Amino acid sequence: MTPVTRTKRAALLATVGFLSLGLASCGDSSTEADAPSESDPVTITYTHRLPDGEGMTTVQEQVDEWNAANPGIQVEPTKFDGEAAEMSVRLETDINAGNGPCLAQMGYAEVPEAYVKGLLADVTEEAAAYEEDFSEGARGLMQVGDATVGLPQDIGPLVYYYNETEFENLGIEVPTNLDEFRAAAETAAADGKNIAAFMPDEGQYWLSAQAAAAGDTWFSTNGDAWVVNANGDGAQNVASLWQDLLDNDEVLVQQRWGDGFTQALTDGTLIGHVGAAWEAGFLLDDLDGTEAEGQWRVAQLPDYGNGVMSGPDGGSGVAVMDGCENPEAALEFLDWLNTSGDFLASQGLVPAADIEVETPEKMTRQFGGQDVMGELAVATENLNPDFPYAPGFSSLVTMSEEASNVAAGDAQVTDIFETAQTTAVATLENLGLPVSE
Amino acid sequence: MSSATEVASEPPTRARSPEPRTRRRRNPGARTGLLFMAPFAILFIVVFVIPIVVAIRSAFFAQVPRNEGLFGGGGVVEQFVGLDNFITAASGTAFWRGMGRVVLYAGIQIPIMIGLALVLALLLDSFLVRRVGFFRLSYFLPYAIPGVIAAMMWLYLYTPSLSPFLPWLPDWVDLMTPGTILFSMANMTTWTYTGYNMLIFLAALQAIPHDLYEAARIDGASGFKIATRIKIPSVRGAALLAVLLSIIGTIQLFNEPVILETVNPWMGKDYTPMMMAYNTMTGTISPSGSGPANAISILMAIIAGVLAVVYASLQRRRD
Repeated sequence: MTPVTRTKRAALLATVGFLSLGLASCGDSSTEADAPSESDPVTITYTHRLPDGEGMTTVQEQVDEWNAANPGIQVEPTKFDGEAAEMSVRLETDINAGNGPCLAQMGYAEVPEAYVKGLLADVTEEAAAYEEDFSEGARGLMQVGDATVGLPQDIGPLVYYYNETEFENLGIEVPTNLDEFRAAAETAAADGKNIAAFMPDEGQYWLSAQAAAAGDTWFSTNGDAWVVNANGDGAQNVASLWQDLLDNDEVLVQQRWGDGFTQALTDGTLIGHVGAAWEAGFLLDDLDGTEAEGQWRVAQLPDYGNGVMSGPDGGSGVAVMDGCENPEAALEFLDWLNTSGDFLASQGLVPAADIEVETPEKMTRQFGGQDVMGELAVATENLNPDFPYAPGFSSLVTMSEEASNVAAGDAQVTDIFETAQTTAVATLENLGLPVSE
Repeated sequence: MSSATEVASEPPTRARSPEPRTRRRRNPGARTGLLFMAPFAILFIVVFVIPIVVAIRSAFFAQVPRNEGLFGGGGVVEQFVGLDNFITAASGTAFWRGMGRVVLYAGIQIPIMIGLALVLALLLDSFLVRRVGFFRLSYFLPYAIPGVIAAMMWLYLYTPSLSPFLPWLPDWVDLMTPGTILFSMANMTTWTYTGYNMLIFLAALQAIPHDLYEAARIDGASGFKIATRIKIPSVRGAALLAVLLSIIGTIQLFNEPVILETVNPWMGKDYTPMMMAYNTMTGTISPSGSGPANAISILMAIIAGVLAVVYASLQRRRD
């Protein structure tokens, strides 16, 4: 063989090899429940991706407390370091290999697709015992059709954050409907301030949640087929609001997770923000020690044209995985965990359970003594009760792509919802599920 | 990279197997050899051969709902779909647009990077430079930085509100627009891989017998002439290797666009074929799943292979 052909062959092999290496996930065996017996305790494996940050009650600490009190049900938590989408792939691989965890954290929008893939166990009977710990709306998030697949953990209704001091200086009130919102944005913009940010990278959940707050239902059923309606009246109201603000240059246009957003927040240009409830845990961290510390408050969203409602922007539950041998024991632990309000609050989460939660000290300070958790609980109650997700919702990330075009001035806000419609229908068809057009 | 050397270092297969008796007598040595090879062979099969076989098999299958109904009966079955996954990927515009981007990118970036690497290697080999070790290491250093970290660092440098140098440039300079982002990425990879390619050239240069230079000097050749007439022609083999590796690497462009996409969502989840494969796997691109994702990967491998073969044979014809 000449050096060249050998190199070539090696190169080809290398290419194929690298590709498959990148895609093949190698699972380690961290699992399976032991058969319950009198001497052996039941082992429940639990994979999560909670932050476990500094100063928080970690999952391990919380689980240790349970394990000490419940010698018969021992829980082994594992933190997954990676993105939600990667965790889905990992779970799929592990479960198909027969060594998936018993419990796993899962975003509400991912639940239907995981169920379609056969990754989740139907625990409707076992979960019935914990019905009273969660409101009907919250329970619905962990239901697929009529089947319950787990228990909700935290919840992310949209709320409105604003700087009260700045609002008073400008003489504006917290807007309670879209006309007031437009007027307030105009007043603030005249003074070089913005009462909201339009965030392309959050286009998918942020805008769908607003459509929910405006009363839309995106996924419903007609007989045994899906009906997709992502561009209804509510979506149109949402689109016209942001289009007006964009056209009049009365809104900050920044990626939520870029540094421009933080900069606008710290330099005082951004004085209001339509955001998820879970943002209360860290949104104002950069203002600590500045003049603006303690000036912000949280309020309900304005009326988007269908009464005061909120929509779901993220949040996740814990699902019982297919192959879990002791779903009953798993749910017993899970109910205890998901009703441990102080633990969840310390992780920066808004508990989905029907419990009173004390506002953590940090939030009290950052929000000038406001009962933040109380206000967020109102938003949870106001959630649109009829906004289920369909399988394949994760592909609606095309909304963010289109939102980016809107920010660049190459598209209209309403195009984002049009994109959502076409993507959702195409994805359902690709999944081989019935869609009625 | 490592596999290239591994494949090259495999012992040549014996043409004829000798008589059983003689083989047994020679065996102690052979067995030691096999034992030494075992760690490599086992790892090679486990992390290389098996994944490739699994990936290729998976590309011909799709997950379809087990039953009818809104949720497909809550389970999926694998179904053989023949070439469907390949046809879906190859007939969509997204794959070819991504491919077009990386090919355009390769067409611009590779010549610049290889040229730079050659110039740096010639400089280090020219006796003009002292402390060669220091320069060699510092040119190579960017390659030692993990790709994702490097990409994030460049992202900061490209972000107007954070960049230390953008404020000094005119206002219209924006390094992250549809028209400029390919060049911004090309800059990132050039920075990372120039030193690496320089090492390939440097190794080739140092293998040239030094009496050639002496003879040339006696004939009155200047240092520049020696470089252009002796050194550059002698490293053509190394250039071929460097370009081939770059072509293959570029087709798989991934870290840079993924990091840039986090603040530029307009790029989409399918900006390069590798991103498309990854996001098809995670479900943000539909049709999703391992079947379609593997089909995209294999198409990419075939195209990279074809490009490499075409380049190599063009090169050979010129020789």
